[in-house]
Amino acid sequence: MTRGDVLVVIAIVAVALLSVPSAGAMLAPAGGAAVLHGPGGSTTVDLSSPGTYVVEGRSGQVEFRVADGEVFATSAECPDHLCVGMGAAAPGRPVVCAPNGVSASIVSGRGEGLDAVSR
Amino acid sequence: MRSHADHGAAQRLASTAVLLAIACALGYLESVLMPPLPLPGMRLGLAYIVIVIALAIHGPRVAAVVSLGRVLLVALAVGTLGGPQFLLSFGGAVAALAAMVVLSYAGPSFSVVGWSVLGSAAHVVGQLLLAAALVSSTAPLALLPVSLALSVPLGLAVGYTARLLVSRIPDLSLSAAGR
Repeated sequence: MTRGDVLVVIAIVAVALLSVPSAGAMLAPAGGAAVLHGPGGSTTVDLSSPGTYVVEGRSGQVEFRVADGEVFATSAECPDHLCVGMGAAAPGRPVVCAPNGVSASIVSGRGEGLDAVSR
Repeated sequence: MRSHADHGAAQRLASTAVLLAIACALGYLESVLMPPLPLPGMRLGLAYIVIVIALAIHGPRVAAVVSLGRVLLVALAVGTLGGPQFLLSFGGAVAALAAMVVLSYAGPSFSVVGWSVLGSAAHVVGQLLLAAALVSSTAPLALLPVSLALSVPLGLAVGYTARLLVSRIPDLSLSAAGR
């Protein structure tokens, strides 16, 4: 590696470290609700109420289940099913199905921002 | 100044075709045979070994043909052409290629290893930005710190592999890849 290569590595690691607070700020600390995003809009679900939610994506459906205060994907109509393997969503770690344009993220229970957005 | 191998037009065409075929094979095999990494969309990036070699040997134009052609052909093979998965792959490839080309023109201070690391980081940033646009939410960007951190060792592995392979190819005059 040249000196320039080392600088590139240091710069990327620095950007990664500096982006940690911003990444956490995008998703507020754990609360009692999760937001399910899809191409057709967003829905806020109460994590204290168990249930199953189906979100229509761009090329198929993604099914989310709320149980024990957590939300996780249980099935998805996409090639890789990576979202199903991600486990429960957590602050700073949403469950995302990029091919379908669907995600589930934990939001604060303090009532910041909008409860739901319909488009 | 970066130097490129002096090939005739026919040799360059044949070389480009071979590189494109290898990149397609590596990309396809990686997508269907290898288990996914913990983060969505993360791959080892084996095809980028070939893309970095193409950039080092032939320059940005051939590297663009290999990189973007690989995305198109693999998408055709797996049936995702025009879909969100294809958009993510294409966007990541464009971002990585742009970053590597810029660094390749920055001078001898950077080697193929540096190109590869920056390309790897640019790839994940491009994909996360596109994913955020696709889901109309900033949620995917929460994966940025871990994705960037993972892109460094993957980029280093690709870069060192590319440099090793190029060093084994005789009759090539390379200033950047030789370091």
